[in-house]
Amino acid sequence: MIMRKILKDTCILAALMILAVFLISIIWSGVTDEIGLVLKLFGLAFILSVLNCLFDEYIYLSIVMNYVVKYFAITGIVMLFGFIVGWFYPNNFWMAFIYVGVVIILAYFIDSFRVKKDIEYINEQIAGRVITSANFAPEQTEA
Amino acid sequence: MQIITRQVKDKPLTVTIEYPEYNDSVSGLIRKINSMDIGFCANVDGRRIKIGLSETYYIENVERKLFIYTAEDVCRLDLSMSEAEALTADTGLVRISRTCIMNTDHLKEIRQVKNSHLEAVLDNGEMLIVSRKYLKDIKRVFQKG
Repeated sequence: MIMRKILKDTCILAALMILAVFLISIIWSGVTDEIGLVLKLFGLAFILSVLNCLFDEYIYLSIVMNYVVKYFAITGIVMLFGFIVGWFYPNNFWMAFIYVGVVIILAYFIDSFRVKKDIEYINEQIAGRVITSANFAPEQTEA
Repeated sequence: MQIITRQVKDKPLTVTIEYPEYNDSVSGLIRKINSMDIGFCANVDGRRIKIGLSETYYIENVERKLFIYTAEDVCRLDLSMSEAEALTADTGLVRISRTCIMNTDHLKEIRQVKNSHLEAVLDNGEMLIVSRKYLKDIKRVFQKG
């Protein structure tokens, strides 16, 4: 739990550091190729996060189907974005399927594990609540 | 935890909590007692009735109309989903999908149907679909105590 929070905070802090350093560099020397690439990645991450949020809010599918549909949707967006910003060409666009595939497989396993753990935790708490209320026996007095 | 009750005539219902140190259990207890005062004014067959939080099983949004479900009744609420969510913030009621707010006090079990969707089973036997997105929020209610 603590390690997860540290990793999450590390990622957020790293992103803020990158943005802060690049902002100064942009003021100093304009948008270089490296800065442009990182800003494009941030842009793509933002679009994918919005898509993911809308998908989770409005579409109810099984966990496997959820990831299959997400895989094709995300690959489509990555390819489109890649063509627009010049990452992909007609002869290497299929690489998007591999990049997205690796991320989606990892996300699927992490998500499945997390959901299982959360369900176990909630059910344990409910079971504990039932035992506690069964032992409830208040003392009664009159003032 | 020791529970002492006593009758004091001509005084309103008073709850005193004594604790050796303030922790999550104490704050959870205070939250639960506070939530007992919250209620909804609902419409049923043209009458307006008050439904307490503890009686509420879940609140559902059906075609932009809000309905409150108790063990026996279904009543119409003159609120929006976001208003109902704001009213029940920091109580045992939690959003479980885009259209449903569930009372975790009546939750019997959460289960995953064969690697598929998640279901919440209530103590009256009703089952509600839980969106994976909101599972963390349900967990948070239990972590608060």
